[in-house]
Amino acid sequence: MKDKVLFEQKFEINGGDFVNAGESCYKVKSILREIGIDSDIIRRISIAAYEAEMNVVMYAKHGVMHLLVYPGKILLKIEDKGQGIKDIELAMQPGFSTATEEMREMGFGAGMGLPNIKKNADAFDIKSTVGKGTKLNITFNLNSKNG
Amino acid sequence: MKSCPTMAIRVRNRKAKINYDRCIDCGECLRVCPYSAVIPMTTSTADLNKFTYKVALPSPVLYSQFGQHIMPNEILTVLKDTGFDYVYDEAVMCEMTSMAIEEYLEEHKSPRPMISSTCPVVVRLIQRLFPSLCELIIPIEPPREVAAKNLRDEISEKHKIPKDSIGIIHITPCAAKMVSINRPETMQKSHLDGALSIHEMYNDVMMKLKKTKRPSVLEKHHPISGIGIGWTIAGGEMRELKYTHSVSVSGVYDTIKILEDVESGKLKNIEYLECFICPDGCIGGPLTVENRFVARSNVLRLIRTYGDKKTVSTHVVHRLYKEKFFSFEAAVKPKPFPPLDKDRTMAIKKMELIEETFKKLPGTDCGVCGAPYCRTFAEDVARGEAKLQDCFFYIKRKERR
Repeated sequence: MKDKVLFEQKFEINGGDFVNAGESCYKVKSILREIGIDSDIIRRISIAAYEAEMNVVMYAKHGVMHLLVYPGKILLKIEDKGQGIKDIELAMQPGFSTATEEMREMGFGAGMGLPNIKKNADAFDIKSTVGKGTKLNITFNLNSKNG
Repeated sequence: MKSCPTMAIRVRNRKAKINYDRCIDCGECLRVCPYSAVIPMTTSTADLNKFTYKVALPSPVLYSQFGQHIMPNEILTVLKDTGFDYVYDEAVMCEMTSMAIEEYLEEHKSPRPMISSTCPVVVRLIQRLFPSLCELIIPIEPPREVAAKNLRDEISEKHKIPKDSIGIIHITPCAAKMVSINRPETMQKSHLDGALSIHEMYNDVMMKLKKTKRPSVLEKHHPISGIGIGWTIAGGEMRELKYTHSVSVSGVYDTIKILEDVESGKLKNIEYLECFICPDGCIGGPLTVENRFVARSNVLRLIRTYGDKKTVSTHVVHRLYKEKFFSFEAAVKPKPFPPLDKDRTMAIKKMELIEETFKKLPGTDCGVCGAPYCRTFAEDVARGEAKLQDCFFYIKRKERR
């Protein structure tokens, strides 16, 4: 019974939509506030969710952010239909980015996205197929004293 | 009801009620209420009389309220005549605080961005809505508090008066100052004894200004600080900082928006963030008289007149900074809004109940039920603070069936 989903909700993310980028992240945050998740955990989730959302906006056509709340953890699944990642190990290295010059000028593509997600998560799992898309599973534990 | 950014107001039995768990003292309701139903808390004259020595500490916003030809020194002189023993120009302390902030940023290279502590509502908003950002609030007291602390020590020594018979009163454009004096967040007890609104002082000062024949013998004050006066408008606080990556935001909704971005880690490249809940900064405060556009123009003129010349010595500020003269006594503590329920499973149930209830509502946000929006009404129902039957449309539809 430990792994029963208490709550879940899906949010659509449109690739290339810089105007509304960050919206899913805000919605996730406001849900977590309402159900009384500790603010430090919300901040970590918020950073990870924002980075993941931006990756979809920058590199994919379409994606879905799936928020799942369990008794002891929060799982954030981000699945996109996009170009995929050729070399995941390389992409995980801080500072590595395939962002175009324009994206960098807008302040994106510092190569900190995936490393930042990993840093803020308690568990992190990435699967990607070139030409098809990328799946992220980001887990945050709630069992600690402040869960 | 709808003007409240944290949705703290409900109208029940013909009376607007504020839920103080949600209120951040922003004063938006004060600005818009056509019935003047909201009364800001300020100090009464009777409260003032219990002090043997009365000091007025006017916000520099006051200088922007009386047109373009009346200079700060005249205003300070006249203000003293309204019943104070001494007046102090807060602008000087603003200038010193600017220097202290710069030193702090220089000394602490992370985390970023640091957020200004000047606006008491912003501090409360962060505690309530963005508790994890409390650590980003720069631990430097706002000028009004530092000035009051200093004045009390100086006056007590100079005139041999016990500290508690000195009354230091802030003359303020801000609806939240009284709350920040009564319930300070970063110290045991505020150094200020009370706040009077610019509104309340205006007529008195105006009448006296008219009677004063200029040029009269004006009392000598410290040279007026152009840098300090700049603090009253958005962008003024960081005008003197050498950090180019500073951002200034004003207005409650824009402030919430930018704090969301900070929370997502979006603005790490910004050094200093200055937020004012009131539009355009303190000159847009709800307790001012002059409209904020004219006031802003007056401030800009004063800044031009007095220039960017330093009126305090860097040396002195450096020494005071090292002595922790400007520092918070205690860190700002998170005080998040209460969740739907303390028990997470219950909170989730209530959230689902909100969604269910919301679907039954007309979505017109008419406010007839006493809650500002259909969604807030659904929340009230889930929290057990309202009944679905309070919705006029819901009842009508049920009757038709």
